[in-house]
Amino acid sequence: MDLMLVLQLLLGGLQNGALYALTAAGFALIFGATKVFHVAHGAAFTLAGYVFIYAWNAGWHAAIGVAAALAIAVLFGIGMERFVYRPIQRHEGSFFTVFVAAFGVSIVVQNLVGMVAGRGFASVDSSLSQGVEVLPELFLAPVFWVAIGTAILLFAALTLFLSRTHAGVALRALAQNPDLLRAYGLSSSRLSILAFALGSALVAPPAVLMAMTTGLNEAIGNHVMLLSMAATMVGGIGSLRGAAVAGVLLGVAESLVLLVLDTQWAEAASFLVLFGFILFRPTGLFGVVAAK
Amino acid sequence: MIAYLANLATLASIFGILAVTLNFMVGYAGIFSVAHAVFFGLGAYAGAQVALALVPDALAACAAAALIAGGLSLCLALPALRVRGEYFVAASLGLQMVALTVFSEAKPLTGGLGGLIGIPQPRIFGVSVGALPLSLAALVLILLAIAAMARGSFGRTLQAIRDAESAAEALGKHVAVAKALAVGFACAGAGIAGALFALHMQFVNVESFTLEQSVLVMAMVIVGGTGTLLGPLIGAVLLLSLPAGLAFLPFIPATEVGAVQQIIYGAAMTLLMIFRPAGLVGDLSRGRSAA
Amino acid sequence: MTEAPLRCEGLARSFGGVRAVQGVSLALPAGQVTALVGPNGAGKTTLFNLITGNLRADAGSVFLRGRPILGLRPWQVARLGVARSFQDLRLFTHMSVRDNVLAATERSAWFWQIGGGRRARLAAAEAALEATGLTALASARAVDLAYAERKFLSMARILAAQADIWLLDEPASGLDLASRLRFGQLLKDARSRGVAICLIEHNLDVVMELSDRIAFLDQGRVLAEGEPQAILRDPRLAAIYFGERPQEVA
Repeated sequence: MDLMLVLQLLLGGLQNGALYALTAAGFALIFGATKVFHVAHGAAFTLAGYVFIYAWNAGWHAAIGVAAALAIAVLFGIGMERFVYRPIQRHEGSFFTVFVAAFGVSIVVQNLVGMVAGRGFASVDSSLSQGVEVLPELFLAPVFWVAIGTAILLFAALTLFLSRTHAGVALRALAQNPDLLRAYGLSSSRLSILAFALGSALVAPPAVLMAMTTGLNEAIGNHVMLLSMAATMVGGIGSLRGAAVAGVLLGVAESLVLLVLDTQWAEAASFLVLFGFILFRPTGLFGVVAAK
Repeated sequence: MIAYLANLATLASIFGILAVTLNFMVGYAGIFSVAHAVFFGLGAYAGAQVALALVPDALAACAAAALIAGGLSLCLALPALRVRGEYFVAASLGLQMVALTVFSEAKPLTGGLGGLIGIPQPRIFGVSVGALPLSLAALVLILLAIAAMARGSFGRTLQAIRDAESAAEALGKHVAVAKALAVGFACAGAGIAGALFALHMQFVNVESFTLEQSVLVMAMVIVGGTGTLLGPLIGAVLLLSLPAGLAFLPFIPATEVGAVQQIIYGAAMTLLMIFRPAGLVGDLSRGRSAA
Repeated sequence: MTEAPLRCEGLARSFGGVRAVQGVSLALPAGQVTALVGPNGAGKTTLFNLITGNLRADAGSVFLRGRPILGLRPWQVARLGVARSFQDLRLFTHMSVRDNVLAATERSAWFWQIGGGRRARLAAAEAALEATGLTALASARAVDLAYAERKFLSMARILAAQADIWLLDEPASGLDLASRLRFGQLLKDARSRGVAICLIEHNLDVVMELSDRIAFLDQGRVLAEGEPQAILRDPRLAAIYFGERPQEVA
């Protein structure tokens, strides 16, 4: 086996894994804090990515594009909470209704994006994604370091936020015991908005970076959704750290699959890992076993 | 005109089977799947192969389809149902996405991207049968079976599990087996619909078994409402008439019709869940309460 | 002396650092009502969960008619003759009262019930409805019932299950006097039929009136066990029950 090829694929997998870790953490954050199975998380990713591409193609500075991507992701998350999930939970809120409503939104977004931006591959060309030969036959683009660095930075910030700030601690409390929160007078609905805003914001950097590297298509939302769900479960429901680690694991698995199969089997990798965990370790890597 | 209506009626029956079987899984057993089209496809390919390679007998094709679709669904269901419901949803999404690749690559079985063509007309014991009466008969039989099960002990078991799983288990019900049976039956039904589809269209290819198709079936169930037996059927008829209705709107370019349809399905699902979760036909009694 | 149908020895279970149940040994004799009392968080419901298999025990054993059952799944334990009610009832909300009770008579998850006897099951269901006074409401949906009726529906399910060991979690809480008396009669009838009943209950009047023995739990341990009069008169236990904890290490 060609060692350089394995190494190249491994690095590519780590790069993608860093991006998946962020999106998965966003999903896990929302699910943990609000118990909402936010199946439209992938749609936030799609919107952020395409908005960035649009800004780039319009000639605007990259920073504006990133800001725009961030803005649309956060607005989308908050919008979903306010206009879709909250009305539903007011009168019903079963898993079924929440799931179907979110799924419906993701279908609408996917097809709207397809109609407006066209179907098929979309990406931006940036110097960040140009590979530099660091070792014989081993190429690394600056974007690799950007991806890893961004992921690490954001996770550090997130951990600090959740453990040191008032709002962050309240979010963790919301995940553990929503009723107790109400007793202490904290607004669980405001915290829900925070959870959605934060969780959705986490998709913007990965969306931007992916637009710069592997590129997007209008159906990328489904791919991201599957990965986020799988990572949350493989990592263990209730653990943000687990979701992130699992995201990296899935990214690497997806890449290494290419050693034996063609690119269209990429999804199979995530599915197989998820299924493997369902069979052998349903609590996931770091899952908290809930007492019934 | 007659042929057009007959075709529509046949498709309505076939999608009707898909919708009522999905409703059985989702509405009665509370198991959510976005991969119903996968089992539709498995049944279609199985039925097609039986008709092409062995004998174009409709009963044989449907039996093979039911066995293969139902059996393979158990491989997914048995492990995934031991754990939380969200796992099954995630696994089904993964399955739907992987299935497309599998269908496209398994050329000897599925004809790859080109699909299988030249499927002969259906017969029963050598006598030629029309696709319409065949599909209608299948729909009626499946409806009767579901009605019988729903009213009997199996239906009670499933509803008990849906309403209060731990209490059902505390009464001695083997939850995982009951759920797996529900999934197996529903997917076997989808398989039968697939075989009928193959015999009717005389051509199958992977385009009919995508996530969009699963979404369509889900939308039929939701629009019709999960609380009743016939609701999904109404949903099926309504949504199948949609493309014909859309064709009358001049401002939609032909290439975008598919996307517009999907947008309508998605929007309908979301709006219904917000404003009328019971669907158009269903009764307004869904939902958890502190009983 | 015949052995008690349900017996547990040295059961223990911790959650993280919290020892919810430690070294609990308890026997539930046939034809007797054993009450579990103790402050909130004493581990009473956890103990039930350990017996029924809803929770995995860290240590100890449970014997059902002499047979060790630890590690069996809840549905297996139920089929061996243990019926259990929940503090939050967990009724089958969208089903009718009759269907709730019928469901309790149907064990098999298959398309049809093994071992026929449809008429016998219907009879058992009707008898349960009769005993709990719910016959008139048989077609009503569980979610539409009043509070007391829901509690009785929970009991009707237990009756219909025809189990000989009952684990009841606060079955009489919130009931008015008339309903409590009716409930008490249900228990007495079951007791005289030889059912071994274990009751988690906070209402001490109910406990005094219905129980043959009391086990007092606190912080996961059985502090005392014996005649109701003796236990409830012990000032030390009363202090614990009402929140004062003695300074010495328990």
